[in-house]
Amino acid sequence: MHKFLFQLTVLIYFVSTAGFLVHVVTLRKDVERVATSVLTGGFVLHTVAVLWRWWAAGHPPFVNLHDALSSLAWAIVGVFLLFQMRYRIKSLGAFVTPVALCTIAASSLQPKEILPLPPVLKSAWLPFHAAICLLSYAVFVLAFCAAVMYLMQEREIKMKRLGGIFKRLPSLQSIDAMNKRCLTVGFTLLTIGIVTGSIWAEQAWGEYWSWDPKETWSLITWFLYAALLHQRITIGWRGRKVAIMTIVAFATLVFTFLGVSLILPGAHSYASWFK
Amino acid sequence: MKPSSSKNTNPVWAFFSSVRLAVFLLITLAVTSIAGTIIPQGQPLDFYKDQFSHTFFQIIRVLQLNDMYHAWWYLGLLGLFSLNLIVCTVKRLPFTLRLLRKDNLSLTSHRLRKMPFRHEWKTRGKVDASAIKPLLEAGKTRLPESQVDGGRLFLAEKGKWSHWGLYILHSSILVIFAGALTGSFAGFKGNIMLLEGESTDHIVDASRSKQIPLGFSIRCDKFSVSFYDTGAPREFKSDLAVLEGGNEVLKKSIVVNDPLEYKGISFYQSSYQAVPQVTVRFHRKDGTREDIVLSAFQRISWPAARLTLGLMQYLPSFNGVPAARIWLADSEGKTRALWLLKGNEKIYTQDDEQFSISLIGASQSYMTGLQVKKDPGVWIVWLGCTLLIFGFGIVFWVPHQTKWLWIGEKDGNTIVILAGQTNKNKIHFEKEFHKTEQAIESVLGVK
Repeated sequence: MHKFLFQLTVLIYFVSTAGFLVHVVTLRKDVERVATSVLTGGFVLHTVAVLWRWWAAGHPPFVNLHDALSSLAWAIVGVFLLFQMRYRIKSLGAFVTPVALCTIAASSLQPKEILPLPPVLKSAWLPFHAAICLLSYAVFVLAFCAAVMYLMQEREIKMKRLGGIFKRLPSLQSIDAMNKRCLTVGFTLLTIGIVTGSIWAEQAWGEYWSWDPKETWSLITWFLYAALLHQRITIGWRGRKVAIMTIVAFATLVFTFLGVSLILPGAHSYASWFK
Repeated sequence: MKPSSSKNTNPVWAFFSSVRLAVFLLITLAVTSIAGTIIPQGQPLDFYKDQFSHTFFQIIRVLQLNDMYHAWWYLGLLGLFSLNLIVCTVKRLPFTLRLLRKDNLSLTSHRLRKMPFRHEWKTRGKVDASAIKPLLEAGKTRLPESQVDGGRLFLAEKGKWSHWGLYILHSSILVIFAGALTGSFAGFKGNIMLLEGESTDHIVDASRSKQIPLGFSIRCDKFSVSFYDTGAPREFKSDLAVLEGGNEVLKKSIVVNDPLEYKGISFYQSSYQAVPQVTVRFHRKDGTREDIVLSAFQRISWPAARLTLGLMQYLPSFNGVPAARIWLADSEGKTRALWLLKGNEKIYTQDDEQFSISLIGASQSYMTGLQVKKDPGVWIVWLGCTLLIFGFGIVFWVPHQTKWLWIGEKDGNTIVILAGQTNKNKIHFEKEFHKTEQAIESVLGVK
């Protein structure tokens, strides 16, 4: 049943993404309202699917690639809906929902069987550590979308094309403010994610830091976001430079999440756990 | 808010106190850290000699890329980073202290009119200060007050302490480093393998390959492992006992994620190994017999026959029959190896005694793999992590908000000025300020 709910969620996210894209082209307010409602419905359904799977598996749904991607898509949509409730950034949906759709589509292509939990993952820290990390990733997805929007909008302004795209994107100032908000929240969550992972590693292996590839890459990402925040706050970098650096740091984050788990060996490798 | 330029223009000081250096170091640390996730870490040097070209091997050797996170240059970068952090903090401190000492009750009405948030009312009537004063800070009736410009100035300030958040955040990094250093100098790490029933009072240090006494003994009473239907391990568990002077002082079953700790030393379930065990029967000529159980990795002495025995190899099925290779050493140390097949007898002669030896049974026991460690620095690391997270909370989300209310007279009119400023979350403060503004307006009855 949770598999059916999951498939239905994929479909609903697809419809909602299409809605947001139609809105960006036609600028019809009612389309955006409908797309948001559809997305909210999909999110509720997705929540039920994730919880159902949790209950069916008997362990938190984060441990294989299918579940991790599905939960990430859930977090992206959740963070986006929450963010829009407060700030209402114009056209943000057209940038965020395609990312969420790609994530859940990738998830649906992965093997979905529930495998039993290896001893090392049997810990109360699993749901906290994984959920906090995924939430931080979701917030950074928003920061990434803001950076892309910033670069697009800035290009329009520089070329003095104040037509189509310019009208559809928010002001540079409000995108920059959104970038800052996402960076502070995302960075704090990433830090808590690394710390909870550390506490867990200490409990499982007697080593709070062992320079395992996942640990190292999350630290690399942390260094880059730390550098970015210092550039923003202290050196006074704004706009373009920050947007580019946000995209670079995000690429590192994607590698930390996917690349390390798929390519490099180590405790977070999805391949090696179940061999 | 930039720290005012210091009179100290020493170039070395200027170099270390720049935030640009911090950004440079953060990016350098990020980029160099990648190497250790690509080049395998902690292998013997010969491994790299085989795997990589000669030139690359030389680079690995010189830059210690085989253990790069402990290499001189990487630790140097971290050291430089710490120094940078300390110098930046020290440089900023006077600025913060000045800000905290600033007297917010000596501001002129002219200055208030230049605040980022402000509103001014003019009324002909008398204004009752005690009626509008509580509106400044939700119901607070006692507010600091002073006489300025011939009027009364009230101050409502909160979150001033949040300026310390930055120091908490940055020093937490140093606290974490201090914890890590404490662990590496005052702690140790190692592995032990224990057979069921076996005990040890020392371990071998993983990096320095020297023996470290525990100060007590640890014994494995039982090891068990269970499997899922898929064949993957479900749980492995060791029943451990701590012995002091031969007496059991603590017993605990440990599993992965649930270690045993005694006197600052922790024992973690890390691995296990199956150990074959065979029972060998010795028949003497006079008809008496003796059954001896042999385990791999263990020597058994049998004093009555002046023999020492061990198991070298066990094959569960050799042409369908279990087979074991055992060794025997006599009192003079002369050894012999024998292959035993189940159901087949072998004759062994020592001195003038003759035995016929046979393999009568085989079973499997386990050896538990424990990670042992002592790390007196770990709580310092946790303290640092806690400070780090609280530091973020304060730096990003606790604002320093100030609101002023000035009531004075000018040309027969009563002037009321409300002013405010915040260093964070302006949107939220603006709403709050607006509410105060409306509340005062309804009391004053003027626009």
